[in-house]
Amino acid sequence: MQSFLTKRAISSGVSLLLLIVAVFFLSRLTGDPTDLYLPVDASAEARENFRELHGLNDPLIVQFGHYVADLVRLDFGESIRRARPALEVVIEAFVWTFQLAVITMAIVSAAAVSLGALAAFHVGGAFDRIATFFSLIGASAPDFWIAIVAIVVFAVGFGWVPTSGTGTVWHWILPIGVLFIRPFGLILQVVRGSMISALGSAYVKTARAKGVTPKKTIFVHALRNAMLPVITVIGDQAAALLNGAVIVETIFGFPGVGKLMIDSILQRDFSVVLAAIMVTALAIFLMNILIDLAYAALDPRIRY
Amino acid sequence: MTETQTEAVPKTKEPGKFITILRLLWADKVATTAAIFVLIVIGCAILGPILLDGVATKANLRGRNAPPFDLSKGFLMILGGDQLGRPLLARIIVASGNTIAVATGAVVASMIVGSSLGLIAGYSRGRLGQVIPRLADVIMSFPSLLLAVIVLYMLAPSVGNIVLVLAITRIPIYLRTTRAEVLEIRERMFVQAAQVMGASTGRIIFRHIMPMILPTLLTIATLDFAFVMLAESSLSFLGIGIQPPEITWGLMVAQGRPYLTSAWWLSFWPGLAIILTTLSLNLLSNWMRVALDPTQRWRLEIGGKKNG
Amino acid sequence: MNYRNVLLGGVAALCLYGPAMAADTDVTIVLNEELETVEPCMSSQSNIGRVLLQNISETMTELNPEDGSLMPRLADSWEDRGNGTWRFHLHEGVTFSDGSTLDAADIKHSIERTLSPDLTCEIGAKYFGGMTITPTVVDDLTIDVTSDPAQPILPLLMSTMTIVPAETPMEFTRSPVGTGPYAMTAWNPGQNIILDRRDDYWGDQPAVTKATYLFRSDDAVRAAMVATGEADISPLINQIDATNADTDFAYPNSETTYLRLDSSIAPLDDIRVRQALNMAVDREAFLGTLVPEDAQIATHMTVPTTLGADQDLSVPAYDPEGAKALLEEAKADGVAVDTEILLLGRLGNFPNVTEVMEALHGMFTDAGFNVKLQMVEVAEWVKYYSKPYAAQPVPSMVQAMHDNNRGDPVFSMYFKYACEGLQSGICDPDLDKAIADATATAGDGRGPAWAKAFEIAHDLSADVFLFHMVGFSRVSERLDFIPSIATNSELQLSQIKFN
Repeated sequence: MQSFLTKRAISSGVSLLLLIVAVFFLSRLTGDPTDLYLPVDASAEARENFRELHGLNDPLIVQFGHYVADLVRLDFGESIRRARPALEVVIEAFVWTFQLAVITMAIVSAAAVSLGALAAFHVGGAFDRIATFFSLIGASAPDFWIAIVAIVVFAVGFGWVPTSGTGTVWHWILPIGVLFIRPFGLILQVVRGSMISALGSAYVKTARAKGVTPKKTIFVHALRNAMLPVITVIGDQAAALLNGAVIVETIFGFPGVGKLMIDSILQRDFSVVLAAIMVTALAIFLMNILIDLAYAALDPRIRY
Repeated sequence: MTETQTEAVPKTKEPGKFITILRLLWADKVATTAAIFVLIVIGCAILGPILLDGVATKANLRGRNAPPFDLSKGFLMILGGDQLGRPLLARIIVASGNTIAVATGAVVASMIVGSSLGLIAGYSRGRLGQVIPRLADVIMSFPSLLLAVIVLYMLAPSVGNIVLVLAITRIPIYLRTTRAEVLEIRERMFVQAAQVMGASTGRIIFRHIMPMILPTLLTIATLDFAFVMLAESSLSFLGIGIQPPEITWGLMVAQGRPYLTSAWWLSFWPGLAIILTTLSLNLLSNWMRVALDPTQRWRLEIGGKKNG
Repeated sequence: MNYRNVLLGGVAALCLYGPAMAADTDVTIVLNEELETVEPCMSSQSNIGRVLLQNISETMTELNPEDGSLMPRLADSWEDRGNGTWRFHLHEGVTFSDGSTLDAADIKHSIERTLSPDLTCEIGAKYFGGMTITPTVVDDLTIDVTSDPAQPILPLLMSTMTIVPAETPMEFTRSPVGTGPYAMTAWNPGQNIILDRRDDYWGDQPAVTKATYLFRSDDAVRAAMVATGEADISPLINQIDATNADTDFAYPNSETTYLRLDSSIAPLDDIRVRQALNMAVDREAFLGTLVPEDAQIATHMTVPTTLGADQDLSVPAYDPEGAKALLEEAKADGVAVDTEILLLGRLGNFPNVTEVMEALHGMFTDAGFNVKLQMVEVAEWVKYYSKPYAAQPVPSMVQAMHDNNRGDPVFSMYFKYACEGLQSGICDPDLDKAIADATATAGDGRGPAWAKAFEIAHDLSADVFLFHMVGFSRVSERLDFIPSIATNSELQLSQIKFN
């Protein structure tokens, strides 16, 4: 166990390092922030001065050296656009994204696992058909479409919730509601599929034959064995949310890391992009370790 | 659009697997409808761009946002006109070509690469088993939008490059799912029995392990079809995806979005096309899971008898 | 620790419900993009300007957007002392929001700070490129500003220069201090900015006591927020959402859309080809469809309220047959009219830009051109728009939108038409001379001098002009405020009254 954690910490550190190197060099292939920062009429002299000021004239490898040297001192660089430390900007945004992701995934997992298991227990039954149908429709409708319709109906039409923004608990309802739909459909389908296989397998049949109640069959025997792929999918969906829900954040004016990331990418504000990736990657690596531990907890045959 | 031909199952071919499959399909009327719809979409994707390209790109500013269900302007305008007055029906048919190409390309490529890597990672107890999952971590943490900007900035925003971007970003999901399942299956009795009996690694993977994980992979792949179409739409929405004059359903939804309250049909029909296609694929995959699983097949056989 | 406050704030927000008590004289304004900084010397960027300009930070002179005249603000008067030197007399008794009194040293520091190479202020880069400005303090309330080369419009340039106290450090500030009627009391990045009215403002007390700025990038959401009462003003909404005559106002936004032709490359080097391109465009068909009805067909690079841009130049008539004939004629002379021309559009530049470009593509094709349409995001577009042009050696038409709200064509013509201009697609000695003459002309001759330059560019068919655009604002019915051409760059809270 101890050695597993140490190993994972080391290998995650290696992944993180690889990620930094890849992002640093690849992102700089997308052009120079100078043209985007200065007005189009700016003189060549002003451009040159800007490049010099932000070290953009140095060879890429030298820039990378500076960056790593700063990083060792936990200095993540300055945001060119915001003239503030990049890490500060990112953490401000990540706190919002983290809360949104945790709340959404908690609700989604609870709902999808219980309903998916129920659907699997009566394959082809009315409940199964309805659950499958609606989860599929939900999973295949564009989220910006759902978001705008939700605002038009619930905020403008009924006036039940604010259109967008932050401030009160009511502001969270629409973003979470829209974010809920897609992972819910996906996880529900995986739960259902995995449960069908598990319910058909020998040990569940044995359990049934031995007279274990159907409820217990579902929730103790089958579900436990069906959880492995489910946890994987939940992890993937949570990772996607931790990376930021760009569309939802954009439409609802939610100050999360996804919107920050896309803005910074489009403006070539590289320090912010790198800091954002490191923060979200760290969160995702931590979560993946938790998921692997969960595998082991659920299935004693898996060991590390 | 769906019920044009509730055709009889062809019975002329030699009796065998094919007939059995068709009979099983016929037993599930919902799956049959889905299959027919998918065939129509594939037909549109192949023939549409050839037949209707001229009609679908001819702008008519003075007839923009023409409402749907008005036959006076011709059959192609039955779904209404878009923001440039072009017939939406023709555009949806033409766009199916790119849409299906992008979605199929991305899903198939990521599934093949992802599940192969996952198999190796799950089965190998050596260093590869440690390294490959980290690769998935790196890809998962690499923001897909940045990847899209990098690829589309250096190469052009063409269909092929969109497939590349989407395929790379979807690899981890197959990789991780496959690895997780393999980790479990390789400990099972029959795999260990096969190992003891001296079966080659290739045989164990392809004959014993693959069939066990394929149903899960297919479920994910069909759902991913929807995801990829929507991701492509989101890229267009953010301005880094496929751009006009190319068309895809996702692009049409993104371009019609501002008109949601004034001319809903602009984004509704292409959105519906995405939903119906993915719905059909998912219903088909659900049917397939049952039909291909010997322990589940009785459900269809009973259903068939009831209906027949 | 800053982060913890944010976290606690988020948690606290989850537990609380109920809008804070808002006074009747508070307003909420929803902008389309978050402010990245609140630095006064960046306030030529439209959203920073909408919060800061004349609300927090004032300028010595102020442009009257109605007629292009110059009004006093922090300076009561100014005079030309020859040799490129202008003397400004400051208003007495003006105080900054930190309590200090405005004097000439503050002006000197503001100018030096804005133009400093250590800061790269946008105002400096945008309006003061290619000149040296030297401020000299005469006494507490008098300052001389010298420019080299001499600028006949130096007082106009000063209407862009935001004034900060002499103590402001040489780095971007996060708590701007100015002489304006409001002071920033809160900035929660990603969420809001709050301005409160100052009691010790030197001028008239405005009616609005507190302004809260919110940021939403989605057009439909901004329009909806005014409809639901969550906001009072949305300076920028999509024309598609502008459906309520009581709250939605169209205003000329001083932006001009056009296609920049690279006339250094065949076949665009032939004037007949450029004329044919102009004739292929059915401009009328756009109005009221993809482009708002109130937009104006353009024949100049700048809006008609700009000096010298008010004369009538003919709009090229829509004549696809004529265009074809011209192309045939050029072809007969050996011009390679079949060459594929790149039509490059900038995504998200204005509402419907993609649709406009698709329609233009169709019109050019109908007139017999071989045109390929490509839509790109801004970082890539810049490479095509500014020299050296990325499209070369392929002939290209680059769609662009130019904004000149400063009343004088000098901010446009050199860049867009001089041989050395960074975005100029043409090089013509007569045009170059006309631009140089007009730039140096002072007084009454300046208007006619510019008119001549406009006319030469028009006769060369240097570009395909499209429209002087309009923007749409949504204003709550409880406010008495009509957006104007200035709304594109500033939003003076002192102009807002209550019904």
